Amino acid sequence: MDLREESDGGVTIVEVTGRIDSTSAPALQERLNSVMAAPQARVLLDLGKLDYISSAGFRILLLAAKRADAAGSRFVLCGVSGKVRQLFDLGGFLDLFTIVGSRDEGIAAST
Amino acid sequence: MRKPSNIVYGVNDVPPLGVTVLSGVQHVGIIAASLVYPLLYTREAGLPAQASVDVLSLAMLVLGLSAILQALPRGAVGSHYLCPPIVTAAYLPATLLAVKTGGMALAFGMTLFAGFAEVLLSRVLRPLRPYFPPEISGFVVVMVGVAVGSVGLRNILGVNTAEAFSGLNVAVAAVTLATMVVLSVWTTGPPRFFCALIGMVVGYGMAGALGIIKAADLITVESAPLVHLPAVANLGWSFDVAIVIPFIVAALASTIRTIGDVTTSQKLNDADWSRPDMRSVSGGVLANGLSNITAGIIGTVAVSTATSGVGTAAATGVLSRQVAYVIGATFFVLAFFPKASAVLLIMPGAVIGAALLFSASFIFVNGIQIIASRMLDARRTFVIGLSFLVGLASDLYPAFLAEVPAEMFPFLSSSLILGSISALLLNAVFRIGVRKEQLLVVDRAAASPEKIEEFIETQGAAWGARKDVIDRAKFNLTQSIETIVDGCSPQGPLEIRASFDEFNLDVRVSYTGAPLELPEKRPTNEEIMESEEGQRRLAGFMLRRHADRVRATHNAGRSTILFHFDH
Repeated sequence: MDLREESDGGVTIVEVTGRIDSTSAPALQERLNSVMAAPQARVLLDLGKLDYISSAGFRILLLAAKRADAAGSRFVLCGVSGKVRQLFDLGGFLDLFTIVGSRDEGIAAST
Repeated sequence: MRKPSNIVYGVNDVPPLGVTVLSGVQHVGIIAASLVYPLLYTREAGLPAQASVDVLSLAMLVLGLSAILQALPRGAVGSHYLCPPIVTAAYLPATLLAVKTGGMALAFGMTLFAGFAEVLLSRVLRPLRPYFPPEISGFVVVMVGVAVGSVGLRNILGVNTAEAFSGLNVAVAAVTLATMVVLSVWTTGPPRFFCALIGMVVGYGMAGALGIIKAADLITVESAPLVHLPAVANLGWSFDVAIVIPFIVAALASTIRTIGDVTTSQKLNDADWSRPDMRSVSGGVLANGLSNITAGIIGTVAVSTATSGVGTAAATGVLSRQVAYVIGATFFVLAFFPKASAVLLIMPGAVIGAALLFSASFIFVNGIQIIASRMLDARRTFVIGLSFLVGLASDLYPAFLAEVPAEMFPFLSSSLILGSISALLLNAVFRIGVRKEQLLVVDRAAASPEKIEEFIETQGAAWGARKDVIDRAKFNLTQSIETIVDGCSPQGPLEIRASFDEFNLDVRVSYTGAPLELPEKRPTNEEIMESEEGQRRLAGFMLRRHADRVRATHNAGRSTILFHFDH
C-alpha cells in the first residue's frame, strides 16, 4: 500500500494506492490519526487507486469516522468504484460513510 | 431480468400496435434478402418458374413458423426471445452439393435429416456445454458478422453477383446505410425503431429514381399472381449417405450460431446477464430443428435464427416477442401473395448490401462482447485467434478451393463453417491436460496475497471461467487466508484446492487450527471497532455473503472451509 498526502483549500487529501489488509492497515490508521489530530480537521480519503480492502481496512475506516464525529471533523471518501465498491456493499458500509464520486466533489463535501 | 437502459421494449413488453407492426415489417424486409438462397438452389436445379415460386412460398411459411416457435413464451420449444429467422447461409455449401448430386429431392431429404440432427443436438447441449463454451459461441457470432458483412459488401460492390460494379449502386448503398445509421444513433422513438425500414424505403426510392430498378423488375412484380396456393411436397425426397457429413457440419454450424443468437438475445434483454441460460438455448435449437424438419417435409430449404435480425433488434431497441408474431403472420400472408413477395424479391443489391452491413456491425461487436465475457489464457487465445485466421482463408484466398478434393469442399468453402470446425477441434484438443482440480500450498509465514491471486487467476484463465466469478473467489481466498493467519493460529501450511466443471467453482481452504467463524448476521459497528475479534467476525460475514454457498468443518484439529460459486 502507498499513501500520498496533499492539501487543497484546507482539505487534507490522503490517496491510497494498492491494498488495505491486516498488514497495511496499521500504517493507514497511523496516517489518519496524524491528519485528524488537528481540531475540526477536514480529511478526504481518495480510494480511486485502491485494489482491495479487507475487514481490517474497514475497521480502520470505521474508527476514523467515529473519531471525526467525536471531534466535529469531516471525513469523506471518494473514488469508491468497481470491485472496491462491491466490497463496501458486501460489508454494509455504503451508507455508513460520506461517499462522493470525484476528488472535486470530495473537497466540496469536506468544506 | 433487468432491462438495459438502451432497450426500449424488452421481450415481455407489449409495444403500441403501430410500433409492433412496423418493426415486424422491417424485419421481414431484412429477412427477405435471404430468400436469394432458395432462388439460387432452384436455379441450380433447373426448376421451372412455378416450382421455384412454390419452394420460395414454402420457405416463407417455414420462416413464419420459425419466428413464432422461437418466441413462444413458455414450454420446451423455443428460446422465448425475439430471434428472427433467415434462410441460412450455414446450409448453403451442403444444400448446393445436394442439388448438384441429386436435385431438389435430395436437398429436401437431407434438410429433413439435418433437422433431426439439430433436434438431437438440442437434447444433448447441456452435457456438451464444455465443448461449446461462450467464447466459441461468441466466435461463431463474430464469424457470422464477417459472413453477413462480406455478403453485404459483395452486393454493394458487385463482386460475384449478377450486377457488375457501379458507382450508382455504391451511392444508393451509402445513402441507405447513412440513413439507417443516422436514425439509429441520433434519434429516438419511431425514427430509431424503424431506422432499417426507413433506410430501405429511401434506398428503393433512390434506386428507382436512378433507374437501378429496371422495367424487367417491375414486370416481375406485375406478372406475379396475386394469390397462389403453393404445392406441398410434390418434388419428393431422397437420401444419400455420401453427403451426410456436410449436412451434419451444417447442422452443427447452425446450432452454434443459434447458441450465439440466443445468448446475445438473453444478454440484450438483461442488464445483469452473467451466463447463458441453457434451457432457453436448447429450446432455441429445438425450434430450429423442428422448423427444418417441417422444411424438409413440405419441400423447401433450411432456416436458422438470424444474427442479422438480432442485430437489427438491438439497433432499434425493440426486442418484444410481439414483433416475432407479426413476422410470422406477415410471412404466412406473403406465402400466398406472390405479388407482394415479388416487391421484396426485386430489392436492389445495393439496398440489401447496406442493410446487411448495418446488421453486421452489431453482430460483430456482440460476438466480441460474448468472447470477452470469459477469461482467455494462451490455449483459448489460440482457439479463437487461429480459427479466425483459418476461417478467413476461404474468403481471402478462394482460389485454393480449386486445389482441394471435391469431398473436402463442403468443409472449406465457407469462412463460417471452416472457422467453426477449427474452433471446435482446437477447443477439444486444448482441453487435454487442463486439470479440473489444482492445489496450492501456502506457508503461513509467507502467505502472499499476490501469489494466491495469481494462482486463482491462472486457473480461471485455463478453465475459461467468468472473470466476475474468479474475482469473487479471489476475494474469498485472500480475505480468508488473512483472517486465518491472523486469528486462527494455524499450525503448518495451509492448503487451497480449487476445482471447476463449467457449472461450479469450488474453493477449499484447509489448515490445522481453530475454525473460522462465518456468522450469518453482521457484527455491529461497535463490535467491529472494539476488538479484532469483531473485525474477524466481519470477515466471516463478508465471506459467507460473497459465496453462493459456504461450509465449514472442524475435525480432529483440522479445519476446512468450502466456498462454492455457481458458474
